[in-house]
Amino acid sequence: MENNQNPGFKNKDFGQSKELFYYYQDGGAFDKKIGFHSEDDAMILQQAWDLFQERIEEARKRMQAGEISPIAYYMEKNLLDPLNLSMVAGISIWRVKRHFKPRIFGCLNEKTLKKYATAFNISIEQLKKAE
Amino acid sequence: MDKNTHIINYTHRQAGHCESGATSNLFSFSGLEISEQMTFGVGNGLFFSYLPFLKLQFAPMITFRNFPNMVFKKGTENLGVNATVRKNIKNPKDAMDALDRNIMNGIPTGMQVGVFKLTFFPPEYRMHYNMHNLVVFGKEGNYYHVSDTVMETPQVISYDDLVQVRYAKGAFAPKGKMYWINSINPNPDFKTAIRKGIKRTVYDMIKIPFPLVGVKGIRWMARDLKKWPVKFGNDKASFYLGQILRMAEDFGTGGAGYRYIYGSFLKEAGTMLNNDGLLEASDMMGKTANQWREFTYIGARNCKDRSKPEEDYGMLSKMLIEIANNEEKVYKKLDKIIL
Repeated sequence: MENNQNPGFKNKDFGQSKELFYYYQDGGAFDKKIGFHSEDDAMILQQAWDLFQERIEEARKRMQAGEISPIAYYMEKNLLDPLNLSMVAGISIWRVKRHFKPRIFGCLNEKTLKKYATAFNISIEQLKKAE
Repeated sequence: MDKNTHIINYTHRQAGHCESGATSNLFSFSGLEISEQMTFGVGNGLFFSYLPFLKLQFAPMITFRNFPNMVFKKGTENLGVNATVRKNIKNPKDAMDALDRNIMNGIPTGMQVGVFKLTFFPPEYRMHYNMHNLVVFGKEGNYYHVSDTVMETPQVISYDDLVQVRYAKGAFAPKGKMYWINSINPNPDFKTAIRKGIKRTVYDMIKIPFPLVGVKGIRWMARDLKKWPVKFGNDKASFYLGQILRMAEDFGTGGAGYRYIYGSFLKEAGTMLNNDGLLEASDMMGKTANQWREFTYIGARNCKDRSKPEEDYGMLSKMLIEIANNEEKVYKKLDKIIL
């Protein structure tokens, strides 16, 4: 349970820090231990990150095929959904969803682009080029 | 040493739950030695709600804890601590100036932050989650010393990064919320505080007349869980199940959705007040917590293998119903105990 090589994580940056966990043994003794994640814990976390990665890859492909705008791709890349993106960028949700269409994205003005760029923590050029 | 530097002699203790850990460390700093589980119980941090219509990271929102800042608010209220909470600070500069003033006056200050941009945080946890708590206890030039109870040691963060996390946006945005303790009674009436804490938790878990919270929420979730593979397909059902497991097991919860911490609180309270009923309840809670853990482990294996989904989900659902029944027994027992 407690070793440095945690097989549950594929990503090397994950599972580096020790945390405090509570335990209970039958007979009424509660226990605190500082240690690494168990394998099952790590697997649950890794599953979520795998799914995010899948979503990002799919969004990248769809963007390159011209089906969705870079905003939709960067939204996935930043682990956001339309509702959260609308809150972070300060743009109403129906406008955000509209901006997923490449044609509408082409007509956006600097001010709106700036809002998105700040939300994604990138420059406007990067957002337009979408790399 | 310029006058911009001041580090308070603050003891960092690692904890299972971010807010009760921060609160108990703050109480201990002010002169009231108190354990994490005691703070958690008195501040009634235990809760359950299942909100399928709200989505958090693409899956239904499930929470095993109370609303952010509840532990601090209830803990100070029940223990008679004089504390200040400032929220909705419009201007980030005001919020940072207030923090600087506190540090110069030797007051460690707790605050609510978002973890997505928290630089020192373990990368596996960096999602859009805005209900994390940490305590700032020192300033050195442009850097702040931070005690984050998830981490083993105190950490350092720069001014700009701290502004970023304090003004993280999205659901439950922290908006610069900060709190600190003015004065504390070193010998509070623990009996009253424990009674109030337990009463409120029992109310939250079995008496709220709304189906999605408390024990009723667990049952509702169990019924929904059975339908997921048919309704959404295997991949999505597996991810949704993962969300339950993540919320129950991870994010510095100490496992089993805080049930271990709560059981440990009941044990400490029972020992302190010489109450056999509480000790028995703590035993039952511990067993329920072990059931939760078993549930998460079986669930995790199910997520991995994805074998015979309908049957497995049916079994998990049955397990959850049993857990709900056992938990209900604990709360009903607690309800009858007269302190």
